[in-house]
Amino acid sequence: MKVHVRRDGPSLVEGYRAVVGDGPIQMLEALARRLKGRRLVMVNSTAVGGGVAEILHRLVRLLDELGVPTTWEVMGGDAPFYNITKTIHNALHGAPGSLSVDEHRHYHEINRRAAAELELDGDLILIHDPQPAALVQHRREPGQRWVWRCHIDLSHADPDVWGFLAPMLARYDGTVFSHHTFVPPLPVPAFLVPPSIDPLSDKNRELDADDIDALLLPFGLPASIPWITQISRFDRLKDPVGVVNAFRLARSRVKAHLVLAGGSADDDPEGAEVLAEVKHHTAGADDVTLLVLPNDAHLVINALQRRSAVVVQKSLREGFALTVSEALWKRRAVVASAVGGIPLQVLHERTGLLVHSVEGCAVQLSRLLRSPELGRRLGLQGREHVRDNFLHTREARDYMAVFAALENAARADEVSVAGV
Amino acid sequence: MSQRSEFEVCGVVHLVRPIGRTATDLASLRRGILEVESASLFFHAVQPPLRAPASSDLPPDDFSAWVSGVLQDFETAERLSFAAQRSNAGTDVLRAELAQVLERPGRGVGTAPAESAFAFRAADSVPVPMFTAADLPQLFDGLGRAEASAWFYHLVEEPWCQGGELPLAEFVRNAGAPKLATRLAELSQTGLPLETMRREAMRTWRRSQLGGRVARAATTPEAERADDARDAVARLARRLVRGRGVS
Repeated sequence: MKVHVRRDGPSLVEGYRAVVGDGPIQMLEALARRLKGRRLVMVNSTAVGGGVAEILHRLVRLLDELGVPTTWEVMGGDAPFYNITKTIHNALHGAPGSLSVDEHRHYHEINRRAAAELELDGDLILIHDPQPAALVQHRREPGQRWVWRCHIDLSHADPDVWGFLAPMLARYDGTVFSHHTFVPPLPVPAFLVPPSIDPLSDKNRELDADDIDALLLPFGLPASIPWITQISRFDRLKDPVGVVNAFRLARSRVKAHLVLAGGSADDDPEGAEVLAEVKHHTAGADDVTLLVLPNDAHLVINALQRRSAVVVQKSLREGFALTVSEALWKRRAVVASAVGGIPLQVLHERTGLLVHSVEGCAVQLSRLLRSPELGRRLGLQGREHVRDNFLHTREARDYMAVFAALENAARADEVSVAGV
Repeated sequence: MSQRSEFEVCGVVHLVRPIGRTATDLASLRRGILEVESASLFFHAVQPPLRAPASSDLPPDDFSAWVSGVLQDFETAERLSFAAQRSNAGTDVLRAELAQVLERPGRGVGTAPAESAFAFRAADSVPVPMFTAADLPQLFDGLGRAEASAWFYHLVEEPWCQGGELPLAEFVRNAGAPKLATRLAELSQTGLPLETMRREAMRTWRRSQLGGRVARAATTPEAERADDARDAVARLARRLVRGRGVS
């Protein structure tokens, strides 16, 4: 099914130009000229919900405006197929799981049907995540360049499920991963393209002080003392209890209020359990606020981050943790664990402070609360770092560069074959 | 070498790829440095300034950042950082100097846990043609507006890849501006932040034009000079407004 991306309203290119300046936009335009005459097709499995769909809504339009005609196809499926892809997803994240021969067959059957139905007649095909990964086997045409973009961490992938997926990936011209630790051994080139945030989205756009006040008013948070905030779902790997413990150590030295804000845990039994643990751990504490927010509370999250003195991400394990870039973009002082993609975003003592323990977290929180000037400096440098490295414009640039590089390599191969 | 009548200014995108090698201590870091491909040394020791192009405080090279941040061997990190600043000497010299530092480790030597290992990566360059200049005014007009990667590509990456040759300076020299060419060559050796290099180069270019402009102005009618002055003020105002817009 083709997704019709909104193209009304002001130009996206001009919107991004106002944020990143002329230089990066010139570069995008130059890359688009280099891909002139090529058509790009993005394929994933959903048009709404989730980070991949969010970014595709922007990238498809941006690339189109730049002069690289880009379409977006969503692959459908039936209930058994979604169960299979859920098993694949969880197993790639490290949960135990296996697929039967019938499930293998059904996965391929749905991909084969989709290959016949979807409009995959572009020159450059960018397949996102495992659901449509087999399309390449059923629909690849001569002259096309196929790239598989993996948005998930494969470092703990279940070997059986990975063994099912890997032969399909070998048929691609290249693969793209978010972080070097996520990359499994593959016989095709693997590129590292970190994910990115959208500076024009509700979660990240500028808000004025009145908007922030209005958005936060319902929560009754104290206005006169600095807030330390962690925004994450209630998950043990995000270590909310560790954040509370670090806060208590810091609180014995400096005055502050802790806000732990996360998504609703209704459909996640473990999330509900962790939330209950945190509630129990903070029972009676008037200097801690727990906020369970709906999944579309983007503006509230934006306001919370902007009003916080320090944003924390004390995860025990992480994928990329784009919440860090979101906070840095808002010039916040960030204290975060040195795990997953966080050290790419938080350069210690330059764009934020990296920690390895509850005590380390407490020390850095106290330090930032005592020295707002340090927080301001880190926040300013953090914003520049995100502007240079973690906005959608950079991700669009990298995808175009990947295809340009693959076309170059293919041309070089043709020349060398002709030479022989 | 033949003289070029035009110069193609390129920006560059670096596609980063993992190379499947890690280090957990100074000895394995040294072995890696001695054995990895040139594109890996380039990524870890030469390319970091492009990650923070506008910063006046250069980001550290990846080797010294890891030795300092993870192994906490600050003495070795300092020496690595000093060696990495000689990156404009080319792959072989850089490799040898980094390895030499690691032959005599300082205090605080330790082993990093697996999850904090140094992961060697490499960067493949994708040069992207931005514009073609037929003369110096076109060249510097375009460079003045070009993004940082164009400055990086022509002042840092080309000399690194071409054994110290600087095609940009050669074009400028052949176009009749030898002093400006020399200044560009000097700048490419300084290891200054990219924005500082740009400012210095553009200042030198504008100064090199002053004599000609004064001579032309002396023979220009008063009304025309007044028009030029108004244009100059308008340009300055636009620059100031633009500067405020992106700050």
